[in-house]
Amino acid sequence: MDKPTATRRSLLQLAGWLGVSLAVSDWEVLAAALQHESGSTSEVGLSLLESGELADLEALTAQIIPTDATPGAREAGVAHFIDRALASFMAPLATQFVAGLRGLRSEVRGRYPEAGSFINLSSSQQIEYLASIEHSAFFASLRLLTVLGMFSNPSYGGNHDEVGWRLLGFQNDHAYSPPFGHYDREYPGFHVSDGAVP
Amino acid sequence: MTLARYRDSHKVDFAIVGSGAAGGVMARELARNGFQVVLFEQGPRLGPAQFQHDELSNWFLSGITNDPRVSPQSFRAGVSEPTVVSRFGRNPLFYARMVGGSSAHYTGNYWRFREIDFDERSRVGEISGTGFADWPIRYAELEPYYTKVDWEIGVSGLAGAHPGEPPRSKPYPMPPLPVKSSGVLLERGARKLGLHPFPAPMAINSVPYRGRPGCGHCGFCHGFACEFTAKSSTLFTMIPEAEATGRCEVRPDSYVSRIETNASGRATGVIFVDGHKRTRFQHASAVVVCANGAETPRLLLMSQSVRFPEGLANSSGVVGKYLMFNYSTRTSAVFEHELNEYKSVQVTRILHDFYDSDPKRGFYGGGGIDARIGPQPAVWALRAAEEGPSWGSAYKARLMEFSRSMVIAGHGTSLPVATNSVSLDSELKDAWGMPAIRATYRDHPDDLANARFLQERGVEIAEAAGAIKVMRGPIAEQSFGLHLLGTCRMGDDPGNSVIDRYHRTHDVKNLFLCDGSSFVTSGRGQPTMTIQALAFRAADHIGRFARRGEI
Repeated sequence: MDKPTATRRSLLQLAGWLGVSLAVSDWEVLAAALQHESGSTSEVGLSLLESGELADLEALTAQIIPTDATPGAREAGVAHFIDRALASFMAPLATQFVAGLRGLRSEVRGRYPEAGSFINLSSSQQIEYLASIEHSAFFASLRLLTVLGMFSNPSYGGNHDEVGWRLLGFQNDHAYSPPFGHYDREYPGFHVSDGAVP
Repeated sequence: MTLARYRDSHKVDFAIVGSGAAGGVMARELARNGFQVVLFEQGPRLGPAQFQHDELSNWFLSGITNDPRVSPQSFRAGVSEPTVVSRFGRNPLFYARMVGGSSAHYTGNYWRFREIDFDERSRVGEISGTGFADWPIRYAELEPYYTKVDWEIGVSGLAGAHPGEPPRSKPYPMPPLPVKSSGVLLERGARKLGLHPFPAPMAINSVPYRGRPGCGHCGFCHGFACEFTAKSSTLFTMIPEAEATGRCEVRPDSYVSRIETNASGRATGVIFVDGHKRTRFQHASAVVVCANGAETPRLLLMSQSVRFPEGLANSSGVVGKYLMFNYSTRTSAVFEHELNEYKSVQVTRILHDFYDSDPKRGFYGGGGIDARIGPQPAVWALRAAEEGPSWGSAYKARLMEFSRSMVIAGHGTSLPVATNSVSLDSELKDAWGMPAIRATYRDHPDDLANARFLQERGVEIAEAAGAIKVMRGPIAEQSFGLHLLGTCRMGDDPGNSVIDRYHRTHDVKNLFLCDGSSFVTSGRGQPTMTIQALAFRAADHIGRFARRGEI
C-alpha cells in the first residue's frame, strides 16, 4: 500500500492513541481540515481556544454527558479542561483536535446557515448533527477528552467539585474496609465445590 | 547496612538488566549467594510518596510506564499492514519503567500455571502455522519455586480451594483477601452452573507480612504502584533484600543499550547511558537480561556485531519472534444493589473450569475466568461507551450504574506465531538515539474464537448470578499488550530456541535471559507468578554454574 501521507499518518497516530480503528471515510472528514491547519497551535499556555470555539465545545461536551436532574459535562467544566489540556499536558493532540473542531464549526455553518454555530442549534438539531458524525475520528477524540475531563482528578481542571465522581457514586476516600458492597455483607464463607472438575 | 557501590571498571560477577518481577528476584538470589551484582534499571527509583491515584497520568500520559514521547514504538497488525507510530499517550507494548518494573503496577493475579501449560503440544498435537511447542521443563520442576514465590514474595490465597489445582508442597502464607461483592456474585452464578469458583491467589498482603502492612483496599492496583506497600512488588520485597546483602548495587536511570562481547564470543559487560546522559561501560563476568518480553529481544538485536550479525544470541533467528499477549475479554454485568467494585483489589474469586483446551469446541484454547472491578472511573466510562450507547442521555444513564456494575473477565491463550514479533524499527529512534521497537501482532483466529467462548461463559455466569443487565465488551484484534511473552523462547534445540532449560543462551556461555520472553506458550494470562518461579529456579542454576566455574 502507498506510503501514508503526513496527514494520514498523523490521523493514524491519533487513532492508535485513542485505541480506535479508522475507516477511510473517517479520516477524509478530517483531511481537508488538517490541510487547512497551519500549525499555529504550538505555544504552551493555559488556553488555546477562542471564545466562540470554547462555547461550541462546551455545547458539544454537554451533548455527550448532558445535564438533567444531575450535573453533566457542563457543570464539571469539561470544556475548560479540554482547552487547558490541549494548551499544556496534551499539547501533542492540539493541532488535530483544533482542526477537527474548526472543521466541525465550518460544516455546521454550511449545513445550518440560519443558526451559524453549534451552540445556536436546538438541542434536537445538535443531537441530529452529532449522530451524523459519531463514527468520525474527531468525535472519538471529543468523547475521550470529555470523559477524561469528567472523571480525572480535579487538579487537571475538570471534574469540578468532583461532580463526575459523585455522578458515578465513586467516593474518592483513600482507604476502605469490608464490607464494600451489598452482596459481600452477609457472605457465609467459602466452601470447596462438590463434584467432578473437568 | 552499607549499600554496595561498584566502579564501572570493577568486574562484578553479574550485571542484571531490568529490575522488575524477574530482575528483582535474580538480584536477591545471586547477591544472597555471595555474588557481586549490579541491577540496572532504565527508569527512576520512586517511593510511596510519589504514587498517585491519577488515572489520567497512569493510563493516558504514561506517568510510570514507557512513554512514547521519549521511547516511541511502531506497530503493525501484520507484516504487510501499515505502520502506526506512537509518539504520545501510551505505547502498544506497555510496561512500568521504574525500579520494580511492571511488578510495581500489576494487578497481582498470581495463579500458578498448571501441568498442561508445559506439555500441551504433546497433548493437543501440532497446530499448523504456529510454533506451538512443549516447554523443556515441567510443572513438577517448577513447583518448589512457585512455593518460594508464595512465601518469599508474599501471596494470599487458599490451598485446596479448587479440587483440580496442581500439586503444591505448602499452603499459602496468608489467607485470601476479603471477598468483594463481585466475588460473591461470581461464586453464586458459577455454583448454580455446577462450576468450581475459588478464592483468587493474589500477590497482595491480606494481613501484615514480612514487614509490610495488609492491603488498605484503596482500589488502585491495576496500573498503579501501591503506596501502602501491600502489593508484593519486587520494589518492596526482593530489591531491598538484595541491597541488604551489601553486595547488590541498584542503578536506576541507567539505560543499557548494548551487551559487549569479545573476540571469543563472551559477554564482557554492558554499555549504559546514565542519568546525566553519559555513556559508560560496566565490566561483568556474566550478564543476565530480565528486561521484559519487549526490551530483552530489543537489547539482543541492538547488540549485533560482526560475530553476531543478526543480533546477539540469535543464531536461531527466533529472537523477537513468537510474541504473545494473552487475550482478555470482558462481560459487564449490572445488579440491583450496590457492589462498589472500585473499592479494594481487582479480583477476589476466579474459576479454572475452562482452563484446558477441548477439541470439541472446534478451536485450540482455554482460560481462566475472574470477577473484577474493571478499571477506575475514567477508563471504566470509556469502556462503557464500547458496550452500548456512547453519548447522550442513554450513555449518562449507563454511567450512573457504575456502583452496581462488575466485570467477568476471561483470560485466554495466545498461540505462538512467528510473524508476531518485536524487531527494530529501521527509521524510528528513541530519545537516546537507539532504534525503537517495531511490534507486529495479529491474534491467531483460535485466540479470538477462544476469547468469544470465554466471554459467553461470563454471560452465563452473570445471568445465573441474577444480573439485571449483561453486556459484552468488543472482541477485536489487539494492538496493545501488557503481557509480553515468548520472544526469546526456551528450548533444547538451539536451532529453534534462544535459551536452554537453565536460561543460558545457546550461543553465549555467560549470557542468561529470564523474564516473559522465556515462555514457550502463553499460559492463560497472569504470567508474573510463573516469571518469578522461573527466576528463582534460574538463579539457583546460574549460582550453581558460577560456583563450579561453568560460566
